[in-house]
Amino acid sequence: MKQAVLSHWDIPWLPITALIMFVICFSAYTFWTFRKGNKKFYEQVSLIPLQGPSKLKGNDTYE
Amino acid sequence: MISNQLGVSAKNRKLETFSYDDQIVKWFVTATVIWGAVAIILGVLIAFQLAEWRLNLGLAWTSFGRLRPLHTNSAIFAFCGNAIFAGIYFSHQRLCKARLFNDLLSRIHFWGWQLVIVLAAITLPLGITTGKEYAELEWPIDILITLIWVVFSVNFFGTILRRRERHIYVAIWFYIATVITVGVLHIVNSIELPVTWTKSYSMYAGVQDALVQWWYGHNAVAFFLTTPFLGMMYYFIPKAANRPVYSYRLSIIHFWSLVFIYIWAGPHHLLYTTLPEWAQTLGMVFSISLWMPSWGGMINGLMTLRGVWNKVRTEPGLRFMATSLTFYGMSTFEGPLLSIKSINAIAHFTDWIPGHVHSGTIGWNYMLISGILFYMVPKLWGTELYSKKIAHTQFWLATIGLVFYIVSMWVAGITQSLMWRAMDDAGRLIYPNFIETVVKIVPMYWVRAVGGTLVLVSYLLMMYNLLKTARTGKKASAEIYEAYALDESSIEPNADNHRKLEGWPMIFSVLSLIAILVGSAIEIIPSLMAKNYIVKIDAIRPYTPLELYGRDVYIREGCYLCHSQTVRPMSHEVLRYGKPSDAAEFVYDHPFQWGSKRTGPDLARLGGKYPHMWHYKHFWDPREVTAGSIMPKYPWLFDSKIDYSTLTKKMDVMRRLGVPYSKSEVLNAVWTARTQAMAISGELIEEGVPKKVVEMEIVALISYMQRLGVDFKNIPENPELAGPEVK
Repeated sequence: MKQAVLSHWDIPWLPITALIMFVICFSAYTFWTFRKGNKKFYEQVSLIPLQGPSKLKGNDTYE
Repeated sequence: MISNQLGVSAKNRKLETFSYDDQIVKWFVTATVIWGAVAIILGVLIAFQLAEWRLNLGLAWTSFGRLRPLHTNSAIFAFCGNAIFAGIYFSHQRLCKARLFNDLLSRIHFWGWQLVIVLAAITLPLGITTGKEYAELEWPIDILITLIWVVFSVNFFGTILRRRERHIYVAIWFYIATVITVGVLHIVNSIELPVTWTKSYSMYAGVQDALVQWWYGHNAVAFFLTTPFLGMMYYFIPKAANRPVYSYRLSIIHFWSLVFIYIWAGPHHLLYTTLPEWAQTLGMVFSISLWMPSWGGMINGLMTLRGVWNKVRTEPGLRFMATSLTFYGMSTFEGPLLSIKSINAIAHFTDWIPGHVHSGTIGWNYMLISGILFYMVPKLWGTELYSKKIAHTQFWLATIGLVFYIVSMWVAGITQSLMWRAMDDAGRLIYPNFIETVVKIVPMYWVRAVGGTLVLVSYLLMMYNLLKTARTGKKASAEIYEAYALDESSIEPNADNHRKLEGWPMIFSVLSLIAILVGSAIEIIPSLMAKNYIVKIDAIRPYTPLELYGRDVYIREGCYLCHSQTVRPMSHEVLRYGKPSDAAEFVYDHPFQWGSKRTGPDLARLGGKYPHMWHYKHFWDPREVTAGSIMPKYPWLFDSKIDYSTLTKKMDVMRRLGVPYSKSEVLNAVWTARTQAMAISGELIEEGVPKKVVEMEIVALISYMQRLGVDFKNIPENPELAGPEVK
């Protein structure tokens, strides 16, 4: 019987709770991320790799 | 006047000068290139060994079972590992606008990691292994890995704290997830009790060990071969294309979804085993869910190339990056597909799986590493790439070689699986001899070996190209940069929650940790409690001392890499092997030995099937008893004496792990083992085997082979006759 309990894991709330947590978190960060007001900011930060610091000295081939 | 992203004036801000530590990046680049060659040469060698057994050379340290872990470890931890550190250290400094936290830590990290690799290269061919796939290294090396990982973590997070850029760019999020999760995975999976400096037993047994191992194994792919590479993709593709990432907002969704979902998917490696059904289903469902974030990332990467597709034709770096994303898309489509139970029933244990794995490691990792190296090396050595023509030749050789590899493994895997399950109208197996299904696919092993050779040639071309590039480079002068120190003026007022989070490294890290721990805890904790639930069966007894020794020989020789020890509840498997496996069978198995591939047949019900002499001949030369076998010979087992000196310690460690050996059984271990060895060798000697066999390891291995599944096979089908339960 104990083996059956483990095999069938009749505690559906545990994975379902995790699923609900995921859906809530997913909805929350999707909502925050895609808010209109954030668009400009994210456009700016997406440029971070392309905007190195000012170089004072060094080879030209370097950034 | 310079202003920050919020338009805040530079007035009153502190301007700082700094330089990057690119020397350490160069070292890691060099190590990547060297170890990559080692990994691929080993891969090609073992591919040929599977096609032609004589290439095992009859030596212990050149046999497939010992070289295969060396191949996987060198590909994952040496080649990809060094590439990760090179790529992270290069991009992390630039994204943080800061030098690495501490030069000494960087050097300890580099030399420590190379030491780990060298130790792996020495110990694995010597057969010093834990017997857990992709985690074969023994406990002292495990501890060293942990220490080096801590050094890396301190250096990594220290750099974030010193950064001059408020916003933590998305690439660094993926690095954070990698640093945290790999640490957790490695520590949890490596908990083991030492017997000697070179031998330990896993803390977990049977089903628990299987779940922890594949939670680790799957997430080694996720957090060592995927997330750091995605992070590098988010840095290097925009740099190489000179365009921002297609959708930064998509990258946020990509990150959190991937990190949360990936960790759940491990149980898809254990479908149809005795792992609890709910865990299998959970693993399958979350694996399928992975389609979304994986493809989100791939689309984001490929769309970053919009407008510069013409460069993909001409720029080798971009070409490799674009192709790597295509293979990433393909393998992350195939992975969830293989996790669907009905498809897994066909694909599991077959060559389809190595085919899938290599579409990831060659198609995604090797291709992306090539692209990144073609970007970094000219910059680091201050020159141009030596030859685009060689790079394009490399590209085509690698791509064609990989297609040979993948297609041959699809054909081999599906062919063999269909042969395994083929039954006639009377319900009998059409191919009852396993060897028939092996002989059929050997031609595909040759095709794979040829494909691998093409990949190796492509790699050697890249080595030559990069070497010539570095040689033509100028001696770099010290580079000095200036940027404003991070101060409160860069804090964005009224930002929403996620935007604030993107500037808080520690809270961000804690949330990432929580995201991976949720799945881990829900899957693993109930299974760790399994000891309390699995019905122990009286008839299932622990191994005798000699069998335990024989089991260690089995692990040492890497037998688990070609043979499984678990019978799935499928009619054709029951017909071929016997009763389906039960969780109670494995409670004393530290570590479990279910395997993941059946190059040879399952061994779960092998005990008693053949006489001792059959096994003796089989290990001497498998062709003597199985015509057409591709298994190597094991002549050294006939010359290596059983080392009785550690047997008592081994039994004692097992006892501490919960195996019910009595104190007298432990104390009398050597005597018991010698007695059993004499009984087995007595039968062999009667049939003309030299008398010295009684002292040799072959006897111990035979004793283990003859024990496999015997206890469970002898239990009557009616459970009421199985005897009382032991709680």
